[in-house]
Amino acid sequence: MKKHMIISVMSKDRPGIIASITGAIYQLGGDLADLNQTVLCGYLTMILSASFDVQVTKEDLVAAISHIKTDSKFEVSIKELSAAGADAPETSPEETYILTVQGPNKAGIVHGISQFCFDHNINILDLATTLKNDQYTMALQLDLRKCSLELEHLQKELDDYSRKSDLTVMIQHNDIFQVTHEISMP
Amino acid sequence: MLRSDQILATVEMIQKENLDVRTVTLGLNLLDCRGGNIDQTCAKIRDKILTYAGNFVATCEAMSRKYGIPVVNKRIAVTPMAFVGAGFNREEFVRLAITLDEAATAVGVDILGGFSAQVEKGMTATDHEFIASIPAALAATSKVCASINIATTQKGINMDAVAMMGKTIKDLAEMTAEQGGFGAAKFVVFCNQPGDNPFMAGAIHGVEEAEAVLNVGVSGPGVIARALERLIHNHPAPGTLQLDELAEEIKQTTFRVTRCGELIGRAVSLSLGIEFGVVDLSLAPTPTVGDSVGEIFKILGVDAIGAPGSTAILAMLNDAVKKGGIFASKTVGGLSGAFIPVMEDAMLAEAVGNGSLCLEKLEAMTCVCSVGLDMIAIPGSVDADTISAIIADEMALGVINGKTTAVRLIPVPGKEAGDHVSFGGLFGASPIMPIRNVGMSSRFIAWGGRMPAPVHSFKN
Repeated sequence: MKKHMIISVMSKDRPGIIASITGAIYQLGGDLADLNQTVLCGYLTMILSASFDVQVTKEDLVAAISHIKTDSKFEVSIKELSAAGADAPETSPEETYILTVQGPNKAGIVHGISQFCFDHNINILDLATTLKNDQYTMALQLDLRKCSLELEHLQKELDDYSRKSDLTVMIQHNDIFQVTHEISMP
Repeated sequence: MLRSDQILATVEMIQKENLDVRTVTLGLNLLDCRGGNIDQTCAKIRDKILTYAGNFVATCEAMSRKYGIPVVNKRIAVTPMAFVGAGFNREEFVRLAITLDEAATAVGVDILGGFSAQVEKGMTATDHEFIASIPAALAATSKVCASINIATTQKGINMDAVAMMGKTIKDLAEMTAEQGGFGAAKFVVFCNQPGDNPFMAGAIHGVEEAEAVLNVGVSGPGVIARALERLIHNHPAPGTLQLDELAEEIKQTTFRVTRCGELIGRAVSLSLGIEFGVVDLSLAPTPTVGDSVGEIFKILGVDAIGAPGSTAILAMLNDAVKKGGIFASKTVGGLSGAFIPVMEDAMLAEAVGNGSLCLEKLEAMTCVCSVGLDMIAIPGSVDADTISAIIADEMALGVINGKTTAVRLIPVPGKEAGDHVSFGGLFGASPIMPIRNVGMSSRFIAWGGRMPAPVHSFKN
């Protein structure tokens, strides 16, 4: 019997953070499953999932990480997962779409779009933004399985949103991006 | 992980650069529709088309909505009708054409191809009746397209058929004189005609094909043009960009375009339970501004289409399109290359109007691209033998080079070189192309018989 944990860590970026954190997990007999990390404005944040023997507790893990020698403190948060949650499939559903948003930078773009998604029961699977020459660009990967609107109506709503917000908003199926940028077909 | 730059490049391609799937064409074998008489045969043809294609248009539209890429044309290609109607006379063949037209209308497709015969070596009594029926059949229908294969690299050129084609095209134009000879725009003469080409007017469902097959024609000259412009814009300093890099850009862009066609074609195929055939990766222009093959010539460095260098540019374009597409698709077929249909391409038509593009240069260009003398409006006064001789030249190019060539000329009744004709929609518009040396080839056409297959056809 194994115990699954989700660990999130934030710290000022420097060489060796991933080595230290995964070293602490390894010493506790943990098996690392998945890890995502990103750096923004000199700060690193990562989220990882690992499985441990049942006797290992969250507190053991916090203690192991806090013993790591480092100039800037790690901010750590840990959650235990039920077995079902740990096995959740990672593949994108058939109704995965990519939404792109482009326009001059202003406050509230991300909030507006994410609120739009929430209002229509659309889950955001992934989100990337870039700011260049005062142009703001967002690309969102969306799960439309539980969306309250048919695709055609959603398209109309997005057109309206596009007009009102002065942003260029477009939606295309995820497969289109896969086939045009990857060797294999879905 | 999302890469915004890649995503935006694809979004641009679809939303702003006229990326579409030009056609999804359902190929259908009709050989089992032959009944004891014409009435039974027509009934069986109608039933089979309605059975197989009943949901075809709706399915294409659903997939088009799902993926956000327009499928411009939904078409049907059938077994060459001269096989299906063996033993029928010309009036009965006209009835077959009308049946096909009605069935095409009933299932909502844009156009239907396969009112066709294959006579590259010899003609049966049925073939004679069939050819005689073509002008009346196309004048009586709106959605039916006809084609005839009269030459192959293996068998040579059937010069008796060549002689008949000039007359057939003239008759066809005369019977549709009120529409500017539009009937001739629905008829094409082939050398080495493929049995899986989804593009019109030459689509057929070859006898070598399965019961029903879906073939997809992708397009996208606008996408290629914009990609080249971007690349050139990003390399403003002289000497920083050379032709091999431009060819590579065409190749990579074609890969992306082809992938979108393959995705939609396979989705339609899965949904209808009909086998997926091929992707035909042809650059097919439309009269829409920004969707022109002609424009690519100018981007790649000739100031007038037809100027020296044009043939070399087309050779590179055609080759790069094939290379990009072949890797993108599991199965490639049809014509696969660049089309230069004059009336359907606003910039080619303009080049005819200002005199930079002439018939002889077009003929040279067809040596290196995928089809032939396509959608060219010529004076109505050009005689049948001259048209036959133009066809013979084009067939010879195909036979000797082992490639598909075709001729679709429209002798516009009552119009002369420099006049203008318009058919509207995807068929486009153009000034009338002057033809030189009219009436000088009749003795050649009068020989008849066969032009033997070339020496390199004997590979057995």
